[in-house]
Amino acid sequence: MSRDIAIVWQHRDVLLDGFMRTVLLTTITTIAAILMGAILATLMQLRFRLLFSIIQIFVDTMRCIPFLLFAYLLYYGLPAFGIRMSSWSTGLLALIVYSSAYVTEILRGAWAALPRASIEAGEAFGFSRFNLFRHIILAPLMFATAPLIGNQIIQIVKDSAFLMVITVPELTYAATYVQSTYFTPFAAFIAALVLYWCLTMLVEAVVAFIDRRAVIRR
Amino acid sequence: MISLLWGASTTVLLSLAAILLGIPLGLGLAVARWTKLPVLRQIVIVIVSLFRATPAVTTMLLFFFVLPTIGIPVNAVAAALLTLTINTAAFNSEIWRAALEEFPREQMEAAKSIGMRASQRFYRIVLPQIFRASLPALVNEMTLLVKASPAIAVVGVVDITRAAARIGAETYEPLPPFLIAFVFYGAFVFVFVKLHRTIEGRRRLQEAGL
Amino acid sequence: MTPVPQQPGDPVLSVYGVSKSFGAHQVLDDIDLNVHRGETVCLLGPSGSGKSTLLRCINWLDPPDVGTILLAGQQVGLRPGGNLRMSDRELAKIRTRIGMVFQHFALWPHLTVLENVMAGPRYVQRRPPSEAREEAIVLLRKVGLAEKADVYPARLSGGQKQRVGIARALAMRPSLLLFDEPTSALDPELVGEVLDVMRGLVAEGMTMLVVTHEMAFAREAADRIVFMDHGRIVETNDPEQFFSAPATERVRQFLARYSSENFGKVRRQSAK
Repeated sequence: MSRDIAIVWQHRDVLLDGFMRTVLLTTITTIAAILMGAILATLMQLRFRLLFSIIQIFVDTMRCIPFLLFAYLLYYGLPAFGIRMSSWSTGLLALIVYSSAYVTEILRGAWAALPRASIEAGEAFGFSRFNLFRHIILAPLMFATAPLIGNQIIQIVKDSAFLMVITVPELTYAATYVQSTYFTPFAAFIAALVLYWCLTMLVEAVVAFIDRRAVIRR
Repeated sequence: MISLLWGASTTVLLSLAAILLGIPLGLGLAVARWTKLPVLRQIVIVIVSLFRATPAVTTMLLFFFVLPTIGIPVNAVAAALLTLTINTAAFNSEIWRAALEEFPREQMEAAKSIGMRASQRFYRIVLPQIFRASLPALVNEMTLLVKASPAIAVVGVVDITRAAARIGAETYEPLPPFLIAFVFYGAFVFVFVKLHRTIEGRRRLQEAGL
Repeated sequence: MTPVPQQPGDPVLSVYGVSKSFGAHQVLDDIDLNVHRGETVCLLGPSGSGKSTLLRCINWLDPPDVGTILLAGQQVGLRPGGNLRMSDRELAKIRTRIGMVFQHFALWPHLTVLENVMAGPRYVQRRPPSEAREEAIVLLRKVGLAEKADVYPARLSGGQKQRVGIARALAMRPSLLLFDEPTSALDPELVGEVLDVMRGLVAEGMTMLVVTHEMAFAREAADRIVFMDHGRIVETNDPEQFFSAPATERVRQFLARYSSENFGKVRRQSAK
């Protein structure tokens, strides 16, 4: 086993490269998914029936199927429509689209759960729709959803590992490579696990920090 | 087509097995943590944190490759089942733990004052109620397990996702098999949603005094 | 476990030298108390005086730091002889002889009223189900709730819940009944129905230790009043003396403040 660890340490750059790619995937996806989710959730608030239904169907579908299935769908399906992308881009796109649906649902649910009273008070005081959103809705919404978005980010980290199946070179792919090349299964996968764990704990720490600020405001 | 059916049954069987094993295992972990024995508590905290934080794909590979090297022979199916079970048990333990912590002390004290022993208090008073309280979250976790189940493909167990991908790759017509897989998962998840709603409805009727 | 042999006239409950602290705060300070068979003792005192804590020490829900608690000569919580704590099993066994009624009722919501009352006799005393059921129905009739037998507690009013709580405690046929502020959580209109049940028990000769703020009830139903303040017993007296001519200044202060706050309430209760 110590031989294992030594070899993995020697080739740690492979694992770290995979880790950085996982972090990159997660970060880009998080930002994009939150933006997309915010747009879709806002569009849903406009209550245009057709638009609402389309978005709802999109969200429900993504929430019913496993991420890997969706990733496969893009991986095999896009070329059939003549779109050729690298596996990295395909994986990233799949992550973004899939996670956007979940963020939309989180935001929609939190929006609906906002206390009616404070919104009505805002309306009574003459806040326009935009002002209402900016001053009365946005901050409580962000604080209420922080833990849920945090969970979603962790889910994105975990979903990213599925992408190794479509040959995206992220952390688990790297660990598998090290394992199959140097025959060090223990150290390679334990190292990967620990790196995932650290990443997750980092996200949870950030969420806890935001949560503490939220409690102060309450 | 047959491979899709094969894959579907694999998904269903492994998922159900992991669910049935993972719920009591999660309860055991939550109780172990609750008992305040310091060493046991710490071990449980670490296990739960670790398996909630890491992808099923990675842990599956870990178990599949590492366990044989320390003398535990596992085939692909065993590794898959083990991973899915531990994974869902870790999440379940947090659900059970929340219900345990919220459990009203007074009811426990009433049970003590009647002279119920610890095992009786747990089985007759605590468990029925924390089960009811945990059920929605547990059912939600079941759907999450189903969505994580395609991870088993990385150790070579063919589930419906893998089967659909294979067919799609071979025939250059990915849409049909994927559509079938879509529908399958939709139906599978729907079963759990319906289950939850039925249970909730029945409980509510019961409490209304009918 | 051999209990101390009982002489006639020995108390059902003996408390010697019980003290308890929560952290730096001493809640009970060297309490001695006896309750004899058929007696109804009311524990009165301001909030925080330790009354409820003392009650909970008696059946070891919160064990005392020092002191001895004897139920008909048998020690509660510690094994005879040494200072070894009783096991959960042993503790459970002796608790079957002490009934407790809780301030917030503590009914088990997943069981019907009947099942709540039957649970102890069936699962702890292992009485046959038919016998347990029959006796439970008799008890429910006694507290006036026989028709609610198959209802779940969520559908009951506070007063009804508490009466079920009393029936549940009675079902175990205890030697001693502890009441922890049984009416404090009730709306005023519902207090009377619970006190009526309790008066009935007093008349039947049940041995009871009651922590309460219901002065009128204490005055007419108790055989003895024990007044506590800051964790000590300040005065013990018979009800008439206690209320009309208390021996200590502290009690006088307490009664003065209490009766001015609750004059209307006391009048209403004693008019019943």
